Amino acid sequence: MRVRWLIGGAQGTGVDTAANVFGAAVARAGYYLFGSREYFSNIKGRHSYFNVVISDKVQFSIDSKVDILATFDAETIFQHFDDVTGYLIYDKAQEQTGIDKIRSLEFGIAKRQAAILEKAGLGITVADVIKYLSDKGVKAVPINYGPLMKDIINQLKIDPFVAERARNMICIGASFSLLCSNLDHLSGAIEQIFAGKQKFLELNKLAATAGTNAVTNAYSLKDIKASGRRAQLDGNTISALGKLYGGLRFQSYYPITPASDESTYIETNQLVAVKSEGEKQGVIVVQTEDELAAINSAVGASLTGARSATATSGPGFSLMNEGISWAGMNEVPVLVTYYMRGSPATGLPTRSGQSDLKLALNAGHGEFARIVIASGEHAEIFNDAITAMNLAELCQTPAVHIIEKTLANSYSIMDRESFFTDARIERGKIVYPEDPENYKRFEITPDGVSPRAFLGHAQMYYTGDEHDERGHIAEDPFNRTAMYEKRIKKLKQAENYLTEKQKANIIGTGSTVLLTWGSPKGAIIDAMELLKDDGIDIEMVQVRVFSPYPSELLKKTLAGKKQIVAVENNRNAQGAEIMTEQTGIMPTNYILKWNGRPMARDELADAIKDVVRNNTKMVVLNGGK
Amino acid sequence: MEANKEIEFNDWCVGCGDFGILRGMEAALRELKLDFTDAVLVSGIGCSGKLPHFVSGPISGVHTLHGRALAFALGIKLANPGLKVIVNAGDGDTFGIGVGHFVSAGRRNASIALVVHDNRVYGLTKGQASPTMPLGERTKSLPKPNINGPINPIALAISSGYTFVARSFAYDTSMTKELIKQAVTHRGMALVDVLQPCPTYNDINTNEWYRERIYALEDDPEVHNESETLAKMTQALKNAYIEEEKIPLGIFYKNELVPTYEERIKSNIPNYMENYPAMQKIEDNGLAITELDKLIDARTVI
Repeated sequence: MRVRWLIGGAQGTGVDTAANVFGAAVARAGYYLFGSREYFSNIKGRHSYFNVVISDKVQFSIDSKVDILATFDAETIFQHFDDVTGYLIYDKAQEQTGIDKIRSLEFGIAKRQAAILEKAGLGITVADVIKYLSDKGVKAVPINYGPLMKDIINQLKIDPFVAERARNMICIGASFSLLCSNLDHLSGAIEQIFAGKQKFLELNKLAATAGTNAVTNAYSLKDIKASGRRAQLDGNTISALGKLYGGLRFQSYYPITPASDESTYIETNQLVAVKSEGEKQGVIVVQTEDELAAINSAVGASLTGARSATATSGPGFSLMNEGISWAGMNEVPVLVTYYMRGSPATGLPTRSGQSDLKLALNAGHGEFARIVIASGEHAEIFNDAITAMNLAELCQTPAVHIIEKTLANSYSIMDRESFFTDARIERGKIVYPEDPENYKRFEITPDGVSPRAFLGHAQMYYTGDEHDERGHIAEDPFNRTAMYEKRIKKLKQAENYLTEKQKANIIGTGSTVLLTWGSPKGAIIDAMELLKDDGIDIEMVQVRVFSPYPSELLKKTLAGKKQIVAVENNRNAQGAEIMTEQTGIMPTNYILKWNGRPMARDELADAIKDVVRNNTKMVVLNGGK
Repeated sequence: MEANKEIEFNDWCVGCGDFGILRGMEAALRELKLDFTDAVLVSGIGCSGKLPHFVSGPISGVHTLHGRALAFALGIKLANPGLKVIVNAGDGDTFGIGVGHFVSAGRRNASIALVVHDNRVYGLTKGQASPTMPLGERTKSLPKPNINGPINPIALAISSGYTFVARSFAYDTSMTKELIKQAVTHRGMALVDVLQPCPTYNDINTNEWYRERIYALEDDPEVHNESETLAKMTQALKNAYIEEEKIPLGIFYKNELVPTYEERIKSNIPNYMENYPAMQKIEDNGLAITELDKLIDARTVI
């Protein structure tokens, strides 16, 4: 069972809060939810939306098509009308608004959407959209937002400007009422989210009730008894939680979308409780002057023994390259959480993409061991953050944890146990030398890992120049050969530490393998369910760690497969290119998408059918708005 | 054959001003009784960047990236505020490639001492003009006279929020030592701009050139109560702009009434100084001990 709901509106009109309330209400009815958030690089006014999937089972992806399109402005209708299959909730007062009057709608998009209407012999107003949809069997649900808002303002005697923020709650009320007749869930969610804010609680409850009264139930979702406790979380927050649990105690950052939310969350919660210690511990969060200071202050902090990290996205990561190189040379464990978005340059600052994988793998000049982990779903993020910090310390080298924008900004209703599990913390070889004046920070050892002491505990030297065991500058070719080799061979520690499951997720069996990494995993898992009905069995191989690359595991898994289909959110299938480089295996087919929007289950399922049945070499997806 | 474990071979040019700073630094560390247990020398890139490797005595050194020494120093200081963090960087490092960090360090006022090796040239890359070289000056290493105006380190430090701002002359090791000691013990961000000849590439600003011009400041530079701040800053800026004909040395400005970054952090983390990040326990027998239940409860919907 999967019900798909989309709410849109101008940025700054509370679409986020509305979707949050809706999610909590759906959760109270016992359902899971996966919600993907799209928005412009803009503070107020541009079109933003939540595409939400509701199900009795955990879901990992959205669809391009939606059952209910919930709107309170005209732009959302024009942007999404061709994707709705069930109900359109809309503002009756907007019926005469034409698509040509929506200035914030990019001309190319307006022209394309208008052409759909014109092709059907219609005009370009909201009323025409409703006619268009009615021919397709979509029911229009008009709401008199204006008069309803006036009633609320009169009843509560509040500033219309303040009241306006609850307009979206009418839409939420109408949506929820369409889905579910037990309206207690909605009022419960509103009470939970606006707890302690009496004025807003009252306002939102009134608005939601106005919405619920305006429609009649259609989907009759029955209450499901949920087995355990569930949380509604987004990727930024899960990453922050994972880092804190894993012992992060120093985080530096420079503001950048979509990474900053993680750092501000940590700063908000910087006093952390610790088992069996009376006092809370303080986590330092520093907003630095740039990303150069962000990476290098985190590296400095790590030299003292604190688990340290920074978080950024493409442009910031580019600036961090030199610092990562220094950390590689000086064998410093540091974590960079890399929120990947549409690139190059500022690219699509608020959209998703997977085009920086090779940058992550090659960041910083020079050859040195590095850890690169990419999460494919929300539950993975928590443990991946901890694993990345463990591997950084085991190998004494920088680690990059890739979380794409689409995972960072999407929400899941999750069973707490699905991600919040006991985690081991491995700090590797740490010493408090007994003869601190003769300590060798870069001692040559059989496994390449030197016993690591912290600043303050021994006499030690670090330098970006090639150095001897003490850490002094050394250009001796014999020393160079030994030190260089040491910095690379210690990556073996990571290979030994990781389980097969942590290296790559292999799900399903079939002669066609979908080879992926990161967020497309979600659409693949959900599409696999859908394709069973078509008698198509596929296997998914999701590479979770790119350095060290699980070459043997992939060779073993991919041997004898008929089709190896690279599924990625980029143009060049970088993940597959890495596979070829590491294993010699070439993909046979490609399903790629680089329009900045995440892969949707339905478009992916169609593409898979095409590849399996027709052996189509390359399918380019372009879904999403 | 036994290696000399005590001191690394020093490869600075004969007569380099860095030697004066090195001797001043060693004496300061000795007199303050600082060693690797309570201090760390952080440096940038260039001749000055090698200083930590050349210091005799039990100290630790972190020789970082060009321009970024202050960023590394910030991380070290905040994660372990128990350490005295002393930065050595050149004028190109500090006022060229790293000038953003220099300014931002003033805004924070963390207790870090920055010693700038200011010789007006980029020595290790063969004598290009640095950000402190005056407009029109042409040292023997320059193909043409310098086309850029100079940064005034003292004035920039004061306007950026540094709370200890001093200038020394490298060959006056006793003054250099004294100012480094004061900078290291100062509560807040400290700058000691050390004028130094580069005997190889700067044939204009030589030892003799400086000797003819330098003199000691006599004004009281310290802000004793907040009402004096503007007057002391103005006095310091005025002294900072006495240039070329006469070059004042000493402390230009000192203000310990401004809260340090550590104190600002303490207002958010009350036990910061007693349990800072470097000393926090994060695991017990390999198991994570941070408690997240309350944070996850806040997001729990059912």
